[in-house]
Amino acid sequence: MSLILARIDDRLIHGQVTVGWSRILQPDQIVLCNDTIAADSWQSRIYKSAVPPEIEVSILDKESTADFLNNLPLEHKTILLVENPEDMFDLVRRGVKIDEVNAGGMHHSNNKYEMFEYVYVNRADIAYLRRILNSGITINAQSVPGVKVHTIDMLALDAIESTMP
Amino acid sequence: MINGLVVTHGEFGVELVSVVEMIMGPVPGLTGRSNNGKSVSELADEIKELISSNDDCDTILFIDDFGGSCANAAQLAGAAGSSTRILTGVNLAMLLDFVTWRESMPIDELPRRLVEKGRQAITAMGPVQEG
Repeated sequence: MSLILARIDDRLIHGQVTVGWSRILQPDQIVLCNDTIAADSWQSRIYKSAVPPEIEVSILDKESTADFLNNLPLEHKTILLVENPEDMFDLVRRGVKIDEVNAGGMHHSNNKYEMFEYVYVNRADIAYLRRILNSGITINAQSVPGVKVHTIDMLALDAIESTMP
Repeated sequence: MINGLVVTHGEFGVELVSVVEMIMGPVPGLTGRSNNGKSVSELADEIKELISSNDDCDTILFIDDFGGSCANAAQLAGAAGSSTRILTGVNLAMLLDFVTWRESMPIDELPRRLVEKGRQAITAMGPVQEG
């Protein structure tokens, strides 16, 4: 399987992915893994319409995503998008082979704390990010190509957790 | 490689450039400038200087409004020449396509493409059908 980007981004399919990363990575397809959107044909259509015609797009629930990715032809360059660390860990647990996770957009909401301008976390996020790290996967925060890469390791997660009440 | 210079009323152009970089990452050679507090001739001088400071590179000027002071300043700066082009009606789609193609397309061909892409991005969106 040729997973060229495994990204956590709560905006899912948007310009940073379809223009920013796709210009550099030239993917054959985007796989959007999200149970809610996969079950809603109307939302699926909206997200699909945001992808340029030369890139295939599949919108799947977590179970189907794992099967789909594990059976991909090697030469098919794929960008995987999930909404949050929990969904990414779920795919890891289901045996999807991922070497590196890109934390590209985890935006501010209630009771989340800032690690970087575009990465906010709560305790649950931290727990799932730790489980991803414990699976031997590297996590790098980077919004778009060319900007500074921040490694999210155990120390960084301990540090942000220690600022929480 | 072609440079881009976005000259507009207020901070529109400066912000457009920052949005392009938010989407695509850093873009060297793409600059935004405002006409705030400048006479047309002052703005024309500034444009001239910016174009000549990278004279080994072609430049496309992106202006917000045909017939406005920024377009006039661009004309006064003599920017519609062999190594420089002026496009009006700048929008986000036009700039994203510019960044994508400025390394591989010559200055004689790119402006026409950008006008087309900018126009295509202007739509009246209908509702997405259920079902």
